[in-house]
Amino acid sequence: MLRMTNISKRYGATEVLREVALEVRSGEVMALMGENGAGKSTLVKILAGIEPADAGTIEIAGEPVTIRSPRHSQAAGVAYVAQELSIVESLSVAENVFLGDTDAGLFRSPRSLSTKARPFLLKVGLEQVDPLELAENLSVAERQLVEIARLLSRKARIAILDEPTAALSDAEILRVKGAVRTLADNGCAVIYVTHRMAEVFELSTRVTVLRNGRSFPSIETASLTVDTLIEHMLGRKLEQMFPARATRMGESVVELDQCIGHGLLAPISLSVRRGEILALAGQVGSGANAVLRMLAGVLPVASGTMKLRGAAFAPHSIADSIAAKVAYCSDDRKRDGIFAVRSVPENLSAPALDRVSRLQMISPVMESRHTRGIAELFGIDLAYLTRLAGNLSGGNQQKVALGKWLGIEPDVLLVEEPTRGVDVGARAEIYRHLRSLAERGLTVIFASSDTQEVLGLADQIATFYHGRMVRVVSAESSTPESIVRDVIHPTLAA
Amino acid sequence: MSIMTDVSPSAARRRSVPRFVWVIAAIVALYLVAGVITPSFATFDNMLVIVRAASITGIVAIGMSYVTISGNLFALSAAALGAFLAVIFALAVGHLGFAAGLAATLLVAILAGMAQGLSISVVGNPIITTLAFSTVFRGLAALFSGNSIVRIDSDIALALGTGRPLGVPTQSWAFIALALVSWALIRRARLGRLLVLSGANPQTAIASGLNVRLATVVAFVALSVGVAIMAVFTVSQFSQAKADLFAGYDFDYIAAVLVGGIALRGGQGSPLQAALGAILIALLQNFMLLNGFTAGLRMTVVGGLVLLATGAFHLLQRRLR
Repeated sequence: MLRMTNISKRYGATEVLREVALEVRSGEVMALMGENGAGKSTLVKILAGIEPADAGTIEIAGEPVTIRSPRHSQAAGVAYVAQELSIVESLSVAENVFLGDTDAGLFRSPRSLSTKARPFLLKVGLEQVDPLELAENLSVAERQLVEIARLLSRKARIAILDEPTAALSDAEILRVKGAVRTLADNGCAVIYVTHRMAEVFELSTRVTVLRNGRSFPSIETASLTVDTLIEHMLGRKLEQMFPARATRMGESVVELDQCIGHGLLAPISLSVRRGEILALAGQVGSGANAVLRMLAGVLPVASGTMKLRGAAFAPHSIADSIAAKVAYCSDDRKRDGIFAVRSVPENLSAPALDRVSRLQMISPVMESRHTRGIAELFGIDLAYLTRLAGNLSGGNQQKVALGKWLGIEPDVLLVEEPTRGVDVGARAEIYRHLRSLAERGLTVIFASSDTQEVLGLADQIATFYHGRMVRVVSAESSTPESIVRDVIHPTLAA
Repeated sequence: MSIMTDVSPSAARRRSVPRFVWVIAAIVALYLVAGVITPSFATFDNMLVIVRAASITGIVAIGMSYVTISGNLFALSAAALGAFLAVIFALAVGHLGFAAGLAATLLVAILAGMAQGLSISVVGNPIITTLAFSTVFRGLAALFSGNSIVRIDSDIALALGTGRPLGVPTQSWAFIALALVSWALIRRARLGRLLVLSGANPQTAIASGLNVRLATVVAFVALSVGVAIMAVFTVSQFSQAKADLFAGYDFDYIAAVLVGGIALRGGQGSPLQAALGAILIALLQNFMLLNGFTAGLRMTVVGGLVLLATGAFHLLQRRLR
């Protein structure tokens, strides 16, 4: 269906794509994989007409086509679902399904539009959603599914999905996966960009790997294992993804006694030791994040008591928790994790301005020493220090968002989704750095909906389901199945 | 060792010409063109005229840049506050003498800045808040002056308003000093860093334990102090104050910030850019005056320049993306 050959693209001096080839058949799901910055996004944007290619040819159904704008691309039967969803919240679900569809006609009654939308919603598993409901009432996953329904309604011959599950929890991912299968079953050629290994193996028929702007011949998914795929992506053998667990842990540092806050339905009691990494495993809305937010001073504790280093701890603001050497990193890096328009050193010194200034003036010497210290501890390439944080790849942005907290020498680090939107290589690095910090006495509590990460990184795992803590188990005695059962349907667990 | 292979495509292009270079280029170009077309333009005397004209606007524009950089867009209350402070200064000098008058004016300015900053942290919208304050200040100016001209008779004030140490007007010395101090403050002081980070991303700033509310208050106090300096110089120069002083000047202050290329989104830019913007506008105004442009035409051209500059900076930004 699609054949892209010799696609090249450069931005100034940087060559982003070099003679890349991509070929996809009708009815198959082609996974497009590669580290951040490997050129995946650029390649799909060229196909979607958002970026022009410098060289190369594109054939669709055997016909050479010229794609210079999104309009060309749509006319050629290509549909693109970007990472940032294009759902109009103030319109109904049905209107969103037919958004931009010129054939739908200008004046359609809501009822007829709704009748027309229903079969497409059915196909993506949204049969319980009222087509007349406003899109703002939908969850992120449901919006993602509406986008896929839109692809179906347009009878796209080629569908590009750019990380459709990046912001979803495991249960929601299941629905999106089902919808993607429907797309392929309808004869669509699907290009699926993702970081999640599990999806590649469940969904795709073949995998095309991009590395440093070059493509490699596609591989049948059936002939791959997780390890060989990672090797392909990194171009070398991957050292173990997860570091070893804690060997020794100290006294109890954080204690929660019968704590309740917004988002929790039952009181939580927990104890975390010095040097321990505790995972709060749960789907979106399970209450796992609420525990972190109470400790960070963002969410008021309705009842119960918290203790830090043996003393009562009741932070009323982030500033309070920072003063108590408790650092908190939310799951929305863009919103409150980094200063995109400021340089990396300015980002890294932001929580610790008093450590880099003397007599109320910032000392460039102290700031540079501070920055380099963090960069070394967290593996941030010194070459990035002159850049704006917003220009870094997702993995490096996350290192900046996490690394800046090392400046206050925290005792406790609270992290939501430590590796969201981070590629495999940087992910392993972040795990390694978190573990080595824990070995030096840092207590890490992280919330995650990624089962692999929960099992691999943590010493102890607290599982959450619908506002309640299910149990606390040691990571060693857990299996992926036991965790998933706890966080999806704990009543089935023994 | 890093195993990242980040070939972020835009990185190489990002290190482009800084905005202030464009402004300086525009100033030089305008200067050359005007110098060739109008012989009386490129003289030392005329340069002094331009610097003086730029000084009064520039002092407030520098103050305005604090507000913009701290992420609060701009204030619409500067001219009205100027009139209010001018009346306060004239009254206080008349009753208490020059030194006490100066102190009283600064004190009122700081209070006015704090009031605006705190109100914005409650209301949330700097445009609406400062629009309301503008009416309050203008009303207070009329109230205190009894709607008549307040005259002063002070030799110190006259010397301050009309003196020319080393041949350069006092206003310009103040302008230059303020520009340099502000540049150092934003660039190097901890408080300046707080302003920049709060403007760059208030949510991240709060999440980093920074006091964003304080940043807003500081920015508005800085603007108010700039306005106070303007008011003191103006009253001293003409030995009188009245309630309708500076009416219609608000756009000039904002124009200087915008033409200087300070991003309205906040968190970027430097007070020096506002100073350069003020100089560019003063050059243009002077050039148009020498060539006998009417007031209406001058207004149209300055408005057009702001549109052109903001449009150009926006396109520049987009291309970098």
